[in-house]
Amino acid sequence: MSGSSTPKSLPSSGQKSLHDIKHPLSCSPGAEEDAAGGNGVVVVDTPSPDLAHTEPSSIADKDLSLPNGTPADTSSPASSSSLLNRLQLDDDLDGETRDLFVTVDDPKKHVCTMETYITYRVMTKTTRAEFDLPEYSVRRRYQDFDWLRNKLEDTQPTHFIPPLPEKFVVKGVVDRFSEEFVETRRRALDKFLKRIADHPVLSFNEHFNVFLTAKDLNSHKKQGITLLSKMGESVRYVTSGYKLRARPMEFSAITEYLDTFALKLGTIDRIAQRIIKEEVEYLVELREYGPVYSTWSGLEEELREPLEGVSACVGNCSTALEELTEDMTEDFLPVLREYILYSESLKNVLKRRDQTQAEYEAKLDSAALKREERTGGPTDVEKCQDKVECFNADLKADMERWQNNKRQDFRQLLMGMAEKNIQYYEKCLTAWESIIPLLQDKRESK
Amino acid sequence: MVCTYYCISFSPICPYTWGRSLVNLTIDVPSINLFVMSEDDCLLKKLEISVSEAEKRTGKNAVNMQETYTSYLVETRSLEPPAEGQNSPLDALWRRYSEFELLRNYLSVSYPFVVVPPLPEKRAEFVWHKLSADNMDPDFVERRRIGLENFLVRVASHPMLCHDKIFHSFLTQESGWKEAVNEAGLQMKTDSRLKALNATFRVKNPDKRFTELKHYSDEVQSVISHLLRVRARVADRLYGVYKVHGNYGRVFSEWSAIEKEMGDGLQSAGHHMDVYAASIDDILEEEEHYADQLKEYLFYAEALRAVCRKHELMQYDLEMSALDLASKKQQSEELATGTIRTFSLKGMTSKLFGQETPEQREAKLKLLEEQIVEGEEQLKLRNVESREFVKNSWLEIERFKEQKNRDLKEALISYAVMQISMCKKGIQVWTNAKECFSKM
Repeated sequence: MSGSSTPKSLPSSGQKSLHDIKHPLSCSPGAEEDAAGGNGVVVVDTPSPDLAHTEPSSIADKDLSLPNGTPADTSSPASSSSLLNRLQLDDDLDGETRDLFVTVDDPKKHVCTMETYITYRVMTKTTRAEFDLPEYSVRRRYQDFDWLRNKLEDTQPTHFIPPLPEKFVVKGVVDRFSEEFVETRRRALDKFLKRIADHPVLSFNEHFNVFLTAKDLNSHKKQGITLLSKMGESVRYVTSGYKLRARPMEFSAITEYLDTFALKLGTIDRIAQRIIKEEVEYLVELREYGPVYSTWSGLEEELREPLEGVSACVGNCSTALEELTEDMTEDFLPVLREYILYSESLKNVLKRRDQTQAEYEAKLDSAALKREERTGGPTDVEKCQDKVECFNADLKADMERWQNNKRQDFRQLLMGMAEKNIQYYEKCLTAWESIIPLLQDKRESK
Repeated sequence: MVCTYYCISFSPICPYTWGRSLVNLTIDVPSINLFVMSEDDCLLKKLEISVSEAEKRTGKNAVNMQETYTSYLVETRSLEPPAEGQNSPLDALWRRYSEFELLRNYLSVSYPFVVVPPLPEKRAEFVWHKLSADNMDPDFVERRRIGLENFLVRVASHPMLCHDKIFHSFLTQESGWKEAVNEAGLQMKTDSRLKALNATFRVKNPDKRFTELKHYSDEVQSVISHLLRVRARVADRLYGVYKVHGNYGRVFSEWSAIEKEMGDGLQSAGHHMDVYAASIDDILEEEEHYADQLKEYLFYAEALRAVCRKHELMQYDLEMSALDLASKKQQSEELATGTIRTFSLKGMTSKLFGQETPEQREAKLKLLEEQIVEGEEQLKLRNVESREFVKNSWLEIERFKEQKNRDLKEALISYAVMQISMCKKGIQVWTNAKECFSKM
């Protein structure tokens, strides 16, 4: 691949982008860039798979299109090396020595003639030799992340690729450019990149490198994609309804686990949403409830202060409740969503594993049939067997990683939920306790 | 007796179970006696009153129709040191809600200047949807039982009402009570009450204080009913928030089945979510007590307005007497001087049918003078009556205001205490859950 040439072109573009960032990146420079890139850029952006399919004959493509039917070929060297990487990195991670830090921040809205979109600043700090500079700062939009994810799935089919936030929000009419929506998405994108950066294999993926560093990502995006042909192939195995002869138990267990996991998370997601809905309605009533005490206090003399006190107290509780629902909406729901999507992504990897095994078994069968006329058969079968084994090893390692992450994440998430509720009740408690003396002092002074 | 929980011995100041939960939180509620009037005279010092039981009954009514109703057991026990022997025996008799109504009606007519304690609601109102609005519902019957007891205690602790003979016979005489009420001429007086409804617009010189008080009753009534409505909705929503959390209990437990390290933590956290969801039932049940306290004052506002109306009626009667007297005086003057100042039917007839004989005129004049003397007497009486009424009712209203301020303040405190305990429970449950999550 063009991997050897890309880093060389990077420094200049990377530095440029750093300078560029200093300027206010309002719409106009972005628009100019787009204009400079020609309308073609915009066209390529949207229906990229189709276009890639119609013009697969770029120079860079040749390398990729060579393995043709065997998608894992590009990754098999990577996965063998990944075994090494994994070992090294696992040690590194244990020692808390991370060498790649990525953050997504500073969303900016771009209004152009063709479309309106949001870009996010992607900042990278690293000491890795694969990077020419210790720091990068680029701006990326959602579809760039989408491109990266496709590329990763493409080139690392044996690994769990973290999910992106949904492209379209189905529920209700959500304003794509509202501050909350952009912020939620920013966090999800940040999480996405951090997960990749922490991954022992994915973080070394060259597309990831390009994504983090390239000044002009579009030129990279234009380079051919063999995704479609591969997809076609995987579909073939699935539709053939081929039944695996010896699917290892552990993978069946994982699939089963993921099904239940996704189901339960879906339920939790619905419960959480329902709670937020109930809380919002509760808040509406509380907002009416407090002022009634205030109205009443206007009619009374001696009771004025106590009633005012209760009114203010209900007001304080409303504010605390509002904070609680906001926190839950912003912190709790997105993590659930991420993990629901994550489990989908995991299931895809498992399917691909099954396909690889199916392919191997099919080759084995045909080799057995053609046993008499021995040609290059056995080596092909061996290759396939290697592939399955590599796949299995990668998958198991990733699953372990994922389980670990999941445990950490949910521990933090659920503890956070409990903590938010504790804080809410503590605020209410303080409010109600503060009015008791108000009610009592009056009496004593009498 | 079923009354293990509710049989509370009453102090004259705290008829309801005001501030029941205050004890737990060691909030000092000094019970001060603000009653100026006849504190020692009060019936409650001599008699312990409780409505201890409710029973569903079926019987035949006046038109021989089958009907189902609830009867309440009214128990009394004398607290006076018995002359000889042990504790005086427990008196118990059954009364229906309609009899309580009759009693209250009687009191309200007989003591027009008194803010007569209200009865609990006839039908459940302002309840959050989980509580049944059915009159035969056990919860409703129970709350009404407490309300009726509260009513009796309020009457018994009232400086004036507590001495009423008919009230006494209501408490102690199984039969013959209704007849006594009828003898008291309730019917006639209720007729006059009806007039009061129309009197409002005819009073020429309304007492400003009563007008203001009426205005106050109206506004308080509307604000409390608004408050009760919103509170019921708040309770509904709060119920929803808690109960939906209960679903976490189930799903955490199901989820824990497929997890290894996380399993135990999830399982026990799920248990805490169940506890959380279940805790709302008690919380809201207790809050219903607060709603009942507010309701009592919602109905008190009506009683307050009734006093205002009765004052208006009195004022109306007074004005009518004065008017009548004035017109009689004018007539007699006319007869005496023979001049007709204004056009009148009498003038017309005398013109048409000729002058009356001097004898007839003499007789008429005599009659009129008699009537004038009578009228002046009546006017004087009415004036005295009215002044008396104003004096008494104002004292009564002052007493009521103090009672109201004290009761409502205590209600607010106990409400705040309820909220505090709810918050503490919430903190406890979530702290436990957090502990479980942290072990995952």
